[in-house]
Amino acid sequence: MSGLLGHINPGLILVCVGFLSCLIPVQRLRQTLTVVTPVLALIVLLFAERNLDLATASMLGLDLVLYRVDSLSFIFGLAFLIASFLNSIYALHTNDRLQDGMALAYAGAAVSATFAGDLMTLFVFWEITAVSSVFLILRAGTKAAYQAAMRYLGIQILSGVLLLHGLAYVYQATGSLSLTAFTSFNQPGAVLIFIAFAIKAAFPFLHNWLQDAYPKATVVGAVVLSAFTTKLAVYAFARMFPGFEVLIWIGAVMTIFPVFFAVIENDLRKVLAYSLNNQLGFMICAVGIGTPLALNGAAAHAFAHIIYKGLLFMSMGAVLYRVGTAKASELGGLYKSMPWTTVFCIIGAVSISAFPLFSGFVAKSLTMSAVAKEGYAIVWMMLLFASAGVLEHSGIKIPYFTFFAHDNGHRVKEAPFNMLLAMGLAAFICIAIGLPAFVPGFGFDWLYSLLPYPEYAQSYEPYTLDHILTQMQLLVFAILAFMMLKRFGLYPPERPGTILDTDWLYRRPGFALAKWSARVWGKVGPAMTSLFERLGYQAFIRIEAAFSPRGTLARGGLTSSMVMWSGVLLGIAMLVVLLS
Amino acid sequence: MTQPTQQRDTHGRFIKPEQDAQSKHAYTEDEVHPLAQFLFGWVEHPRTPLFLLGGVIGLSVILVLMDFIVHRHDYFGFAEFAAYYAFWGFAAFTLAVLSGWPLGALLRRDEDYYGEAETTPDDVESGS
Repeated sequence: MSGLLGHINPGLILVCVGFLSCLIPVQRLRQTLTVVTPVLALIVLLFAERNLDLATASMLGLDLVLYRVDSLSFIFGLAFLIASFLNSIYALHTNDRLQDGMALAYAGAAVSATFAGDLMTLFVFWEITAVSSVFLILRAGTKAAYQAAMRYLGIQILSGVLLLHGLAYVYQATGSLSLTAFTSFNQPGAVLIFIAFAIKAAFPFLHNWLQDAYPKATVVGAVVLSAFTTKLAVYAFARMFPGFEVLIWIGAVMTIFPVFFAVIENDLRKVLAYSLNNQLGFMICAVGIGTPLALNGAAAHAFAHIIYKGLLFMSMGAVLYRVGTAKASELGGLYKSMPWTTVFCIIGAVSISAFPLFSGFVAKSLTMSAVAKEGYAIVWMMLLFASAGVLEHSGIKIPYFTFFAHDNGHRVKEAPFNMLLAMGLAAFICIAIGLPAFVPGFGFDWLYSLLPYPEYAQSYEPYTLDHILTQMQLLVFAILAFMMLKRFGLYPPERPGTILDTDWLYRRPGFALAKWSARVWGKVGPAMTSLFERLGYQAFIRIEAAFSPRGTLARGGLTSSMVMWSGVLLGIAMLVVLLS
Repeated sequence: MTQPTQQRDTHGRFIKPEQDAQSKHAYTEDEVHPLAQFLFGWVEHPRTPLFLLGGVIGLSVILVLMDFIVHRHDYFGFAEFAAYYAFWGFAAFTLAVLSGWPLGALLRRDEDYYGEAETTPDDVESGS
């Protein structure tokens, strides 16, 4: 598209409208804006020319590329804009200026960062995502949410600072800020930028901010949060670190460890947060493989994941909104009062579990094939294990304990219409991009045509008998295992409680150490001050006693002895001169 | 002495019949959304669990039998064994679930462990 619109980063439109929306008190006007703007931005994006610096700026001697679209960033940006549109619909029942505006600005910052053409622009929007998203947690209004929001903000800003630090090294070494992929960790700034991305991608031991903050966010906030930050980090990894072998192993570990936490966690929004981590593992693993097939897998998985994970968070949000809790131990039997939500949640659950005909299947097949093709047998088996794990926590636990299982007697109204509409649209996308390509361009073919390497994607066929058979074996036998375990009473009951994760280290011993050192310092500091004060005072008294006009040396009594001592010194000096 | 036809509330005011009906219109145990009855009514049927289990076992058998008919092409030789995926799916799921017992005992603490028991956000429906 020629003209001005073709040169404006669509994310920037969202950021500006988002910040503006915070000032609009009229609910319907504000919400019209938040729904229409993502659609407008989508149209702007569709007309953008590829592989061109569409908007540039020069600031403080730095050449910045504000808008650049290529096949990798396009699919991420597209998914973010669709998610933003669905989230705006999902939020229509609330009247919260700050939340509406910040949700849009947050989405916009993620889109802008995706289409950034240099590290500095990426950094700026990287930070805007952190600052705008924190309000989605704060608006929950509880003390727990406030504290989690502060931890979240601290960690997100740390990520930004590391990125800034890293890009300074890159600029010093190369004189350019372009988004060129690193080839080794020995390059200046590579490690710093890697850690900055790793924090946002919630790598193991850096992941706690996610499980800490997302379940404490508002009903709408958790849905919005689930879409952007982590997938932006996946995009950043795909852009800067494709083919780094360490990512394969980190990704594989990431798929497995959340499975165990998700089994015992009671808060279902927290289960979804762990599940999010598991899904990111698949994408990170694919980025680590780095072949065109694998990068296609990462992008396809990110696209499908943004939609079905959003859908699952939406359904849990709807339950939380109506019932007032999302804890598995307090839910059950809700299909009786929320049948539509049940249906949509099940569609999300079978999509994330990668049943054939749903979006997860066509996305995950790419990654699994890419891993197997490169011969990583152990990683491949880990991913297979994790696939069964996904079925456990997202495929079965979430819908089963919420809508079926033991009826806890909650009789509530079905979710508000706007929530159902957003869930329905998301469910539609989950099915639409998962269907076989009966005609070219239909079903998964549409998704594959958007991938970073469409020519490789077009030659890949997910619906082969092998794929369907193996995937169905995995899933059906896992379901069989569930039924057996349930029947024999071996399935651990859902019990309320806090599950400790590695954040215990800094929230308990770490915090206690900090408090202890503060207390010790509170005592040692004054003690040392008074010690030095006393020493100084004593020294002063002594010196004053010797040298002051009233002191020992100034006393007249010494005059006669001074004459004698002067004579002695003079004599010694003369003796030395004579002898030498 | 005749029974008063109209009942009084705690303040001694008469309760109008429709008001009475309103207060009695609490959702009962049996009240089910009509769509839910249509879509998921079968869930409550006493024979459903057995039927489902039978269905899943039947499907499992078919899938394993298919493995003997279809010659699969896997990147790894060890995965070409019949029912490899079936075994792995069953084992992985069982391991993940059973590990919940020791892990739960090890890692589960009181809900208020971090002083964060109250996490219900402000934007849930009021009165719930």
